[in-house]
Amino acid sequence: MTKTPAPRQVSGKQWRSLLEDPDTVARQYPVLAEMIGHPASRRRVLQVMAASIALGGLAGCDNGEADGKLIPAVIAAPGIVPGRANAYATANVVGGDAMGITVAHQMGRPLKVDGNPLHPASLGGSDAFAQAMILDFYDPDRAAGIITQGQPSDWPSLQRVMADERERLVRSRGVGLRVLTGSVVSPTTGRTIDALAAAYPGMRWHQWEAASRDTVSNGTALAYGRRLDVVPHVERASVLLGLDSDLISGAPGHVRHARDFAAHRNPTRGPMSRVYAAERAPTLLGTAADHRFIIGGAEMPALVAWLAAAVLRGEQPGSAPSWFAPLVADLKAARGGAFIHAGPDLPVEAQALVLAMNEALGGRGRTFDVIEPVAYRAVDFGADLRALTDDMAAGRVETLLVLDTNPVFSAPGFTEALARVRLSVASGPSLDETGDAATWYVPGAHAFEAWSDARAYDGTATIMQPQAMPLFDGMSAVGVLSMLRPGFEGTPQDSLAAVRASWTSLARGDAWVRALADGVVPNSASRPAQVAIRPEAGRSVIPSVVSGEALVTVALVTRPDPGLFDGRFANNPWLQELPRPLTKVVWDNPLLLAPGLAHRLGLRQGEEVEVTVGAASARLPVWIAPGQAEDVAVALYGYGRRVVGAVGAGTGVDVYPLRYAAGPATLRRTGRVLKVATTDHHDVLDTGDTSDIVRHATLADFMRDPALLQGGVGSPLLYRNPPSGPVAWGMSIDLNSCIGCNACVVACTAENNVPVVGKTAVLHQREMHWLRIDRYFEGPAEKPEAYFQPMLCMHCEEAPCEVVCPFGATVHDQEGLNVMVYNRCGGTRFCSNNCPYKVRRFNYGPYAAEEARPVESRNPDVTVRSRGVMEKCTFCVQKIAATRIAHDISGVAEEAVTACQAACPTQAFSFGNLNEPDSEVVRRKHSPLNYVLLPEQNTRPRVTYEGRIRNLNAEIPA
Amino acid sequence: MSEALPVVLPGQTARTMTDHVAGVALGEERSYLWWWMAFLPSLGLLGLGIVATVWLFLNGIQIFGNDWPNVWGFPIFVYVWWIGIASGGTFISAFFFLTRVDWRTSINRIAETMTLFSAACAGIYPILHLGRPWFFYWLIPYPNTMSLWPNFKSPLMWDFIAVLAYIVGSVLFWYLGLLPDLASMRDRTRTRFKQVAYGVAALGFRGSGTEWTHFRAVYGIMAAIMAPMVCSVHSVVGLDFAGGNMPGWHGTDYPPFFVFGAVFSGFAAVLLLIIPLRRFWGLTPYITERHVDVLCKLMLTASLCVAYAYMMEAFSVFYGHDAAEITMFKARIGGFDAGVYWSTIILNCVLPQLFWFRVCRRWVPIVLLVGFGAVVGMWLERYGIVIQVPHKTALPSAWGVYFPTLWDWALFAGTCGLFASGFLLTIRLVPAISMFEMRELITRKLAR
Repeated sequence: MTKTPAPRQVSGKQWRSLLEDPDTVARQYPVLAEMIGHPASRRRVLQVMAASIALGGLAGCDNGEADGKLIPAVIAAPGIVPGRANAYATANVVGGDAMGITVAHQMGRPLKVDGNPLHPASLGGSDAFAQAMILDFYDPDRAAGIITQGQPSDWPSLQRVMADERERLVRSRGVGLRVLTGSVVSPTTGRTIDALAAAYPGMRWHQWEAASRDTVSNGTALAYGRRLDVVPHVERASVLLGLDSDLISGAPGHVRHARDFAAHRNPTRGPMSRVYAAERAPTLLGTAADHRFIIGGAEMPALVAWLAAAVLRGEQPGSAPSWFAPLVADLKAARGGAFIHAGPDLPVEAQALVLAMNEALGGRGRTFDVIEPVAYRAVDFGADLRALTDDMAAGRVETLLVLDTNPVFSAPGFTEALARVRLSVASGPSLDETGDAATWYVPGAHAFEAWSDARAYDGTATIMQPQAMPLFDGMSAVGVLSMLRPGFEGTPQDSLAAVRASWTSLARGDAWVRALADGVVPNSASRPAQVAIRPEAGRSVIPSVVSGEALVTVALVTRPDPGLFDGRFANNPWLQELPRPLTKVVWDNPLLLAPGLAHRLGLRQGEEVEVTVGAASARLPVWIAPGQAEDVAVALYGYGRRVVGAVGAGTGVDVYPLRYAAGPATLRRTGRVLKVATTDHHDVLDTGDTSDIVRHATLADFMRDPALLQGGVGSPLLYRNPPSGPVAWGMSIDLNSCIGCNACVVACTAENNVPVVGKTAVLHQREMHWLRIDRYFEGPAEKPEAYFQPMLCMHCEEAPCEVVCPFGATVHDQEGLNVMVYNRCGGTRFCSNNCPYKVRRFNYGPYAAEEARPVESRNPDVTVRSRGVMEKCTFCVQKIAATRIAHDISGVAEEAVTACQAACPTQAFSFGNLNEPDSEVVRRKHSPLNYVLLPEQNTRPRVTYEGRIRNLNAEIPA
Repeated sequence: MSEALPVVLPGQTARTMTDHVAGVALGEERSYLWWWMAFLPSLGLLGLGIVATVWLFLNGIQIFGNDWPNVWGFPIFVYVWWIGIASGGTFISAFFFLTRVDWRTSINRIAETMTLFSAACAGIYPILHLGRPWFFYWLIPYPNTMSLWPNFKSPLMWDFIAVLAYIVGSVLFWYLGLLPDLASMRDRTRTRFKQVAYGVAALGFRGSGTEWTHFRAVYGIMAAIMAPMVCSVHSVVGLDFAGGNMPGWHGTDYPPFFVFGAVFSGFAAVLLLIIPLRRFWGLTPYITERHVDVLCKLMLTASLCVAYAYMMEAFSVFYGHDAAEITMFKARIGGFDAGVYWSTIILNCVLPQLFWFRVCRRWVPIVLLVGFGAVVGMWLERYGIVIQVPHKTALPSAWGVYFPTLWDWALFAGTCGLFASGFLLTIRLVPAISMFEMRELITRKLAR
C-alpha cells in the first residue's frame, strides 16, 4: 500500500530550516556543508553565497559570435550603464509550453521577467511562472554540486565513471542505454539526443511530463490518425464552450489565449463574445464565463456524448438539462465562430468528439488550426514512461540518463524500477527526488544559464540566450548528453555551438543577432497541417467513469497545482505564497470538496481526511470549494516534495500516488484538524452584500441603460485640494478582462521587493502582497458566481491615511501619488486602520531581512523595508521616476507602465496620465462601465474599475 | 439617608488619626504580612512585563496577535482601559475638591496614587505598540534641522500631547498634595535616613503661614486645571477612534462616551482599592461606609451614562443606515465573539443597577462583585471597540479576526504588576490618607 507521509506543520519562517539540520544539509547541499560545519551564522552563509554570486560574474550576453564569452561584471559590457536596465529576450518553458520573455538586467544582474511583445505566445503578457523565474534562478538551494550515492563528489570522479561507461556503450552499441527527458520542444536538445541515438543504435529515448496532456494528444491521434497540435484562435471565436477547460490557465499558449479571450469581453470596446463553461470543478475560464454549468463527474461523458449527438447528427437528447438546447443552438448559429475546448481531464474519446464537433461547426482555419506537433517528438508520456519502467524492472536498462524531469517524485512505480538500473545519471537545475535516488546527480543549468531554443504552441521558435554565467556550475542539457558521446574529450559540448548548428538558416548577415534581439525566429510558426478528420472520430464512445455512489465515495480529479505546477516550483517562495485563484490558499494543497458534499460528510474547513483510491492513500486537509460538483474531490499534485530546498520542505501532501491509482476515492475522517493558510481570512460564504463592491450587470441590462453601473464618485467636500502637477497618474482596471491568473501579483512582488512571510505569518493574516486579487462569491454556495477584483492602493486624492499619520509619513505628491515615506514611519498603523480598501501592509517582523534570497536578486531601485514600517503600492514610483527623468532629458511624453500592467496577459490594467486626453487610461475612464469603489467614503481614488458585464443567453433560464 | 453615615467615625481626634496613618507609613503597624503577600506577586508580574518588553524590542510587533484587519490590538485597547481607570482618581480628588465635598478628603490620596500608576501603565503602552518605538519622540513638535513637524491633523499627535499633559499634571497634583504630609513624616520619623529622605521629598515645607497661603492657592489652581483635563484626555482618546473613518468608530458620540466609560471604571477601581485597604490597615474610622456608599452611587450614575451611550451607539447604527456599520454591529451582537458585547452590557449596565438598593451598597461582597464587574466590563468594552469593530469594515475582502498571543497577555499582566507594585510601594511609604486635610476636617467636625 502506497502511503504518502502525513503533512507536516511548517515551522516558523519557511526559510529557517536551511541550516537547522547540518546532516541533512551536508547530504543535500555539499557546497554549503563545509561552511555550516563551522558554527557560522546563517548571515555568514548568505554573505558567502551572495559574494559567490557576485564573483560568479553576472553579465549580459555576448554578441553571439561562435567564440563569444560571457563578460564578467568587473569589466562593464558595452551598453551597460549603471542604474539603467537592459533587457534581453529568451523564453520560459514549462512542461513543454514555451513562452517568449524578456529579462531586464541591471549591471548585468537579471532582475525582472516580462512577456516578449513580439512573441505570439505572450504579446507582452506573462504568467506567474515566468514572473517567478528570477527567484528560481537565484535560489541558494541550487548549490548542490555533483553528488553520488548521497555524498558530494567532483568532476574528475564523474569523468572516470563516464569514460568507463562510454567504453561499455561503444562495445555494446548502446544496448541498455536510455535517456529520459521532459517534453522536448527544443530542436537543439532533440537533435542532440537523436545524434546520440545514431551513435548508439541500441539506445532509446523516453519522455515524461507529470502534468501531461496525453488525453489531448491521443485525442488528435484518434481524430486525425496521427498526433497533431490544435492551435485555437480564440480572438475569432464568438461563442466559446469550455469543458473542464484550462484554455486560459494552463493550456499551451494560455497567456496568448487569455489575451484573445479578453479582447471580446468588454462591450464598450466591441461586440461581446459569449462564453459557456461546463465543468466539474471551477476553472479560470468557467469563472470568467457568461454561463457556468456544474457537471457531476459521472455526467461529463454523457454531456460530451449529447453535445456530439446534437452538433454532429442534429439529435436532441431527451434527458438533457434545460440549458442544453439553447447552448447547442447558440453554437450552431455561430458556425465558423464557435469553438469548444476540452481540458486534459476529459478522456481521449471525448477529445476526439470535441475535435469532430469543432470541425462540424466550421471552425477549422477560423477558430482553430491543426499543426504538426511542436514537440520534437510527440509521444504518449504515460505509455512512454510505462515502457521504460517495464524495461527497467525487467533489468533491460543498464544506463539511464534523466534530464529535467522528476519521475521518482511524479511517476508511478519509477523508484522501485530505478533500483534495478546499474548506472543512473540525473541532471536538473536543482536537486530533486530523482537526483537524490540516481547514482549520480549533475547540477543542470537554469534556463538563464545556457543556450537553448524552444518552439511555442504555434511552432514559433525562440533562441534562448543565457542571462548570466552559471551561478552554481550547472551544465546545459546538451553538455550532459555530450558526456556519453563516443570520443568525448573531457569538455562538455558548448550549448551555443549546438544551438547555432541547429539554426544554420540564421547564419547569414545579422539574422542571428536579430533573432536574439527579437526573441523570435522569423517565419518559424508552423503551417496548418493538411489532414482531414477521420469520420469515426465523431462516433467515439466514451467509457463510463466511476461515479460516487456511497456518501463517502467520490471521483477524484487531479490537477496540477496552480502555483507549483507538477512540483518543480516547490522551492519558489513567490509561487508558494501565491494565493491560489479561487481558494486563496497558500503553502498547501488541501482536498477541494463541494460545500454540499462537505456538509453531508460533516467535514469542516481544515479537517483532515484520508483519501483512498485503490491501494493508494493520502491524508489531506479539506477545503470547501463553492461551485464544484458534489460527486468529485479535487486534489492538486505538485506538493509534498521529499527532496527539495528549504522553502518547499514540509509543505503540502504528495497526491501523485492517488493520481495513478484507479477507481473511486473513499474519504475517511481522521479526526485531526489542520491549519491551512489562506489570504481569505473569513468564511467565504459570509461576505455579506458585495454587489456594490464588484459591480456587474447583464449585457441586456447594460444595453438598456449604459450608465447603470456608474453611480457617484462621492459627495461634496469642504476642502478640495487636487494635486497641482502637470502629470496626474491614474489607473483603470477592467473587471471584464481580469481572469484571476495572478501574473500581476508575482510581477508586483518581483518589481517591488515585496517580502514573502511564510505560512505561519499568513495564518496570522500578515501577508505582504501590495497587490491582491480579491475573489467574491455571489449566490448559493453550491452554484455561486465568482468575481475577481485586483486590489491595490487606490491613490485617493482625499486619502484618509494621510490625515491620521501623526508623523506625516504618508503624504501626497503633486502628481497625485499617495507616497509612503518609509524613513519617517514610526509604525502607529493608524493609516491602515483608516484605509477603507485595506491595501496597506505592515512589517510586523523583519520579513525582508529573513528572506534567504541574495541581495543581488533585489530590484536596486526599490527600498527594502525594515521591521516596524508600513508599506503599500506606489504605482511603481521608480518607473515613474525613470520616465520623468527621460522627459526632463529629452522631452518625451511621460509614459510609465506599472509592473502589474506589464504582466497582465489580458491588459486588464491601464495606467497613465489623466491630463493626457488621448491616453488609454482616460479613454477607459470615460467608459460607461467606469465606477469608483466605495464612493461613499469620498476618497476620490485615482484607481477606478470597469464593471463586469455578462452576456447571458436569454433562452437559458436563470 | 446617607446623612446618617458619618465621614469620620466618632471618637477620632486629629492626633489619633495622624498617629495611626503616619504609623502605617513609618512601619509601626503590627503586621505587614498582607502587604508582602500582595507586593511579591506584583513584582513577579512586573518582571514578566519586563521580559515581555525586552522580547518585544528584540522581535517586534510580530510577537503580538495583531494582523492586517486588526493593526491595533491589545496595546491600544488596554491603554484605553488603563487611562480610563486613571480618570477615577483625578475626578475624585480634583472635581470634588473644587465642590468642597467632605468625603473626598479621606480617599483622595489613594485615588490619586491609583491614577498615577494606571496613567503610567497607559503611557507606556502606545509607545510599545509602535512599529519602531525608538522614534516615539517624533510625535513631539520640536524644531529640528530637517524642518519636519508632526502632522497636526492627526488625532494621535494630540493624543500624545493630551496623555503627556495628563500624566505630568497628575504627578504634580499628587506630589503637591503630598508636601505637608511629607513634612509631617520628616518630623515624626526617628531614623536619620528617613528624616533626610522625607525632608528632601518635602522640599523644605515647614508649615509657615506664607507657605500655607501659597500652597492653598497653587493646589486650588491645580485642581481647577486637572478637573477639566479628565474630560479632555478621554475626549481626545475618543477622537483617536472618531477621527478615523472606520464604520463603528466614526461617530461624534465617541468623546463623551469615552469619558463616561472612563469615570465608571475609575470609580469602580477606587472602590476595589479602598475596601481591602480600610480593612487591612484598620482605616475604617476614616474611610467609612459613607465613602463606599457614595462611590457606589457615583458608579450607578456613571453606569446610567454608559448605558445611554450604548443605546445611542446602537440607535445611530440603524438610524445612520450605513450597510457596513450595520454588518459590523450585527457581527458584534451576534457573531462568534458576541459574548464580549453581551458581557459588557451585563457588567456595565445591568449589574450596577443593584446599587439602587441600600442593602447592596452596604454589603461588601456585592460591592466588590459589582466593582470588579465594572472594571472587567470596561476592559471588554474597550476590547469590543478596538478589536471587534475592525473585523468587519466596508470592504468584505478585508474582513478577519484577531487572537491575542501569550505575549499580549504577558505584557498586560506586566502592566497589572507595574500598577500593583507601584501602588503598594507608594501607600506603604507615604501616608495613605491625606493627613493635613483630615486634621482640618476632624477639627471642623469636632467644632460643630
